[in-house]
Amino acid sequence: MIVAKGVGKSFGGERILSGVDLTFHEGEVVGIVGPGGVGKSLLMKILCGLVEPDEGEVTVFGRSWADLSVTERAKLRERFGMLFQNYALFDFMTVGENVAFPLVQRGDMSAQDVQERVVERLTQVELSGVNHLYSRELSGGMKKRVALARATIGEAPIIIYDDPTAGLDPVTSSKIFNLISDLQRPDSLSLITSHDIERMMPVCQRYIMLYQGGVYFRGTAQEAKQSQDPVLRVFFGGDAVDVGRRTMAGAEGIS
Amino acid sequence: MTQMLTVMGARIIEILQLIGGIALFFLRTLRALVPPKYDARETWRAFYKVGVQSYTIVILTAMFTGAIMVIQAGGTIQASRATSFVGWAAGFTVLSEIGPVLIGLMFSGRVGANNTAELGTMVVTEQVDALRTLAIDPMNYLAVPRFIAMIVMLFLLVALGDLFALLGGAITSHVMLDISYSVFVSQVIDAQLLDEYILGLIKGSLFGMSIAIVSCYFGFTVRGGAPGVGRAVNNSVVASAIGILAIDLLVGIIHHAVR
Ligand SMILES: Nc1ncnc2c1ncn2[C@@H]1O[C@H](COP(=O)(O)OP(=O)(O)O)[C@@H](O)[C@H]1O
Ligand SMILES: [Mg+2]
Repeated sequence: MIVAKGVGKSFGGERILSGVDLTFHEGEVVGIVGPGGVGKSLLMKILCGLVEPDEGEVTVFGRSWADLSVTERAKLRERFGMLFQNYALFDFMTVGENVAFPLVQRGDMSAQDVQERVVERLTQVELSGVNHLYSRELSGGMKKRVALARATIGEAPIIIYDDPTAGLDPVTSSKIFNLISDLQRPDSLSLITSHDIERMMPVCQRYIMLYQGGVYFRGTAQEAKQSQDPVLRVFFGGDAVDVGRRTMAGAEGIS
Repeated sequence: MTQMLTVMGARIIEILQLIGGIALFFLRTLRALVPPKYDARETWRAFYKVGVQSYTIVILTAMFTGAIMVIQAGGTIQASRATSFVGWAAGFTVLSEIGPVLIGLMFSGRVGANNTAELGTMVVTEQVDALRTLAIDPMNYLAVPRFIAMIVMLFLLVALGDLFALLGGAITSHVMLDISYSVFVSQVIDAQLLDEYILGLIKGSLFGMSIAIVSCYFGFTVRGGAPGVGRAVNNSVVASAIGILAIDLLVGIIHHAVR
């Protein structure tokens, strides 16, 4: 569904990502993990065509972003649902309007059908009755759930959840991951970035770990835990606190 | 010495890059204008916000300007017993020069700053990215409505401000120079200031255009979270002020040459 070949990106002379090769298939739920500031969000934006890589290319459904015209890109982006790390809820719209927006924008449903879908989806994320509120009136956890509802309402074949639990308490985080699991459809591809491996474990089938500017590991959590590599072991709920953990903690917060 | 030159050189390059960036953004906005596919609801919202945010400060600024002009001119005029010129003196400078410039600066401080903050916040909270994933072009959806609203509104606000400036001038003339309202009004009418009035309106529209471009540019290019938004607002207001004065000078030169 998505193939990335040799993707690299720098900002102001600083190389954030380089030589990233990835392939994602339909029906997968993949966790993209790594310390804060490593470029997880950036990679997600490159995959969905929001950011152009300096090197390499990304193809989605066999079409490379680089080859597409502006209109074609817009069309291809409709195949993505996206939950942004910073919520990205439109602050000039109510919750209901936010969630409805992808459907309204697509324009293939009657207003009444849209409303029904919105109510249904908000109930699913346990937020019924907040349609008329604005995002500034919501708590962080509620905003994430609204964002979740908006990302999934279009039932796009590819859904990207960028740090869906950043800044949330553990209970709310688990709830969010459960919701993601409930909303997963068998034929869609979901990518979830997070550093909360423990709680994403029940949802993800495999993981890509970014570290030091590239793909450091790919495989299942089991494989990561059994690895001899100290960085991997620490990151995947390993045992001892060592240098690896400290460097990662140092990088946290840069996002 | 060489270090100072290097720093200055780097600063100059930075400024040139900025001017280039703003010019490019201006062209992109113009290109987004045709064909007109901007969002009607956003445009309406932009008009409403721009108007509501600015009309009180514009009226206040205008009245003070008119009053100050009369006081400034009043001393000389009274000394030379040429009180019949006060309406002309007040009208002339206010309509073509001080009025539009001060109103433009106030507008930039209020509406422009607010716009940069709003767009900057939308960038750092990834709302702009979200629009793009929903196949919406931020230029059409965000920049164009603000561009149109600011040009039209600053035109209208200068037109409105002129009236209040003259009102301020009339009140001051009455109180300070004992010139009756009807005399003041007839003086202004006699002065045949239509030229100045139109020149002021043209300037107002151009100021609106530059404030829109500059404030949108700084908003869209915000980096580095909430602190970045603060910095951008600051830079946006300074750049807008420079833009206003530069346009004022340019229009003045052209007007002078044409006449
Ligand atoms: N538009 C941008 N301009 C400049 N630097 C950026 C931009 N986007 C991301 N970066 C930088 O790329 C790095 C990776 O950021 P990010 O992808 O948000 O990390 P993560 O999501 O893994 O925490 C950071 O150092 C960030 O400063
Ligand atoms: Mg991130």
